This record gives sequence, C-alpha cells and structure tokens, in this order.
Amino acid sequence: MNESLTVVIERNADFASEFLTEPYETAWAREACWFLVLDEQPDPGVTITVTTEISPDGLNWCAQDRALTLPAGERVTSWANRDFGGWLRIRGVVGGSVRGSLYLALKA
Amino acid sequence: MNVTDRAEYEHLRQAVAAAAPGVNKFQPLSRIIAHDDFNSGTHGWVQLSGNYDAAGNLDSMEPQMSDFRPPQLSSCNFYDVGTHGAVSGTYALKLATRPVKGHTATAIRRLTMPAKGKVQLEAYFTYKSEARALDPVNAPPGDWDGNYHPSEDLFGAFTLGSDMDDGTRYHVVARYMNTDFDNVPDRRWYAPTVVEPTGKERFDGKVAHTKLDDFTAPNRDDWKPFTEPLHLCYNEVPTKVNWHYLRWQFDTSTRTNVELQVNDVVYDTSHVEVPLYTEKYRALNGLLNFYFSVRTHADVRNFLYIDSALISIDW
Repeated sequence: MNESLTVVIERNADFASEFLTEPYETAWAREACWFLVLDEQPDPGVTITVTTEISPDGLNWCAQDRALTLPAGERVTSWANRDFGGWLRIRGVVGGSVRGSLYLALKA
Repeated sequence: MNVTDRAEYEHLRQAVAAAAPGVNKFQPLSRIIAHDDFNSGTHGWVQLSGNYDAAGNLDSMEPQMSDFRPPQLSSCNFYDVGTHGAVSGTYALKLATRPVKGHTATAIRRLTMPAKGKVQLEAYFTYKSEARALDPVNAPPGDWDGNYHPSEDLFGAFTLGSDMDDGTRYHVVARYMNTDFDNVPDRRWYAPTVVEPTGKERFDGKVAHTKLDDFTAPNRDDWKPFTEPLHLCYNEVPTKVNWHYLRWQFDTSTRTNVELQVNDVVYDTSHVEVPLYTEKYRALNGLLNFYFSVRTHADVRNFLYIDSALISIDW
C-alpha cells in the first residue's frame, strides 16, 4: 500500500495581499495535491493566484509552474504537482481578503 | 527451553522482541506498544491541536495551541550536503517551528493505558536551528571561531511531554533548555511546577493566553532545573546531525518520574515533582499521550528530528 499524508499547511488563517507558506519536506512523495478551503464562498471579485515553489534545500526556491489563478467565487479549490523534488511551498497573491485553511495531500 | 511454561514463554517473547531489527538499539520494558520507524509514515505522531467548540469553529481554539505546525517526514536535507539521512534509512520525523521567537512545533502520539506501571519513551534525536539564518536582528550570541557556531545558540528548547488521566489528570514533562529565552546558553533539563493550561480552564475563564505563549507552562518562573548543564553534540554547524539516544521513564501507578537518560548520562528523576490537576476531566479515561515539542527563542526556525521512537510498558 502506498504511503500518504495529509497536512494542514496553514490552518484557519487570513490570506490577503501576498503570502508564503512554511517550507515542507516532500522527498518521499510522488504526488502532491493542494486544497484551499475557505470559510465562506468568496466574492467573485476576489482573485487568488498561487505559485508552487520547489527547492533543493529548503532555503533556495524557484517556481515549478507558472502562477495559477484559482477559479473565482469558489469556496474549495485544488491544484496538483508532480516531479517536485524534496521541498514544497506556495507563494500566493490575493486581491482582497479570505480566511480558511490550506491542505497538502501527499502520496508516495 | 520449555516454552509451555508461561514465565519461560514470556522471557523468550521479550528476548525475541528486543532482538528484532530496529528494536535492538533500544532498552524496552517488557511490552513494546509502539516502535516508530519513520520510513513508513508518521506512525500516529501528529501535530497537537487545541480544543474547539460544538460547531467546529477553529476560532474557539486556545490561541497558544492553534499553530503547532504539521510534523514532516524529513530526509534531513541540507544546502551543503544534500540528503543527510536518518539513523535507520532515509527518513526521520521532523518538527519545525516558524521563524518567530516563541513559536512552538509539536508532535503527539495518542494512546491509552492498557495497564498501570512503568512507561518508557525511547528515541534517537537530534536538534538544529536553520542554516544560513543569522539575520542581524537575531543578535547571534557569539562569533564563529572555527569550532563554535552561533546557530547552536539560536536553538531554544525541546520538550518531552505526556498527558495522563487515571481519574486524576497530570502531565510528566522534561525540557532541555538549550538556551534561555534570550539565547544565553543554559543546557539544563527543566520540569514545570504547574499543570498545563487546558481548554476547559480557558472556557471557564481561568486562563487566557496568546498565540506565542509557552503552552506547557507559560510563566517562565514555573520551570525549575533538575540537572546540571548537559552538553550535547550539536557538532559545530547546523547541517551535521549526530543522533543522541534518549530514554525517559515514569510510573503511572504512582504518578511519578523515574529516570531520564541521554546517552551515558542517567538522571534519577524520582524527586522531580509531578503537578496534578485538581479539576476532574471527563472522557479522558486511561489517557496516555506522549509528545515532543520544540520552541524557538529567536526569529529562526528550530528543528527537532526523531528517528526512531519506541514506547514500552511494564505489562
């Protein structure tokens, strides 16, 4: 059976302007699936853009993909990554303000 | 050997268990409850979290227990050497704080008591502050001299904790205070003289704490050292990990400390008092929790690595 681990990278947090999540080690995992779960459905005018960042050492970072704009007005959104090496974090830009939790579901 | 004899069978069973791969680097009590090798997941070690209201509203959580960070399965990966690896295989359990003075990360394992008596947690551990984190605002306590590296004193403290309830609730706790809250070297083991603030006490308006308060015992004067300084092997720089053997024992039949061992140093802790709650708690019958925590005393991430952990009971 493959290993799996879901962690709450940011819990019950305010996301506004720019944010950067704490480094998280993922060398054992093959797949990563992020979920941004907001407390309430956001106003359709709120924009949320996320960039998955990767690192060889948890200190030096680069974007893995281009910035992704999440679907407007959705309370729960998700995106996935593969081939990410040993570390993951999210750089986000929020036009407006939202509150909720960011989950990371990993699988070997 | 006549293994139909119960005592002989028990002797043989314990010998086989103690000689099992991975177990033979420990000194377990008669029954092994958990042997956690982090090459196969987190084995139930999860971030400690506060309580919340009937609606599940996380705003109702005790602030000092609201942001303990999820443990990581770490390959002990560093900028200068790449993957360092653990004692057994590649992975260790890593607790990582935020780079915020006073921030705490935890991992808790939740069991109940199959029997009362001696209980023991053993582990191999190492501790580090984040490499290349010497921001001037952190006021490193000294300059690098080729041997001393200031990152050593940017590591705050790590704690061994527990939570028990046999009708009376209590915590047995031991903290290695690498530095005081101002990053001055201390290196002694401490225990709190008061019980940990609970969600029930907060609900009843008896306590109120802020997010970065020390959840185990918020008032620094409530911590008392019970050893002389113990100098561990930080190994000069923040990217060399040398593993230390740890054995921590207490007795749930007497609610007392028994021993604390780090490598070849063994402390008789039977005189270290265990504070008891006077309030009664329901729905905690037979509670037996263990936790590790790490608290940074600077705006620098602090890491506690565990590989592996073994819990045993005299049963």
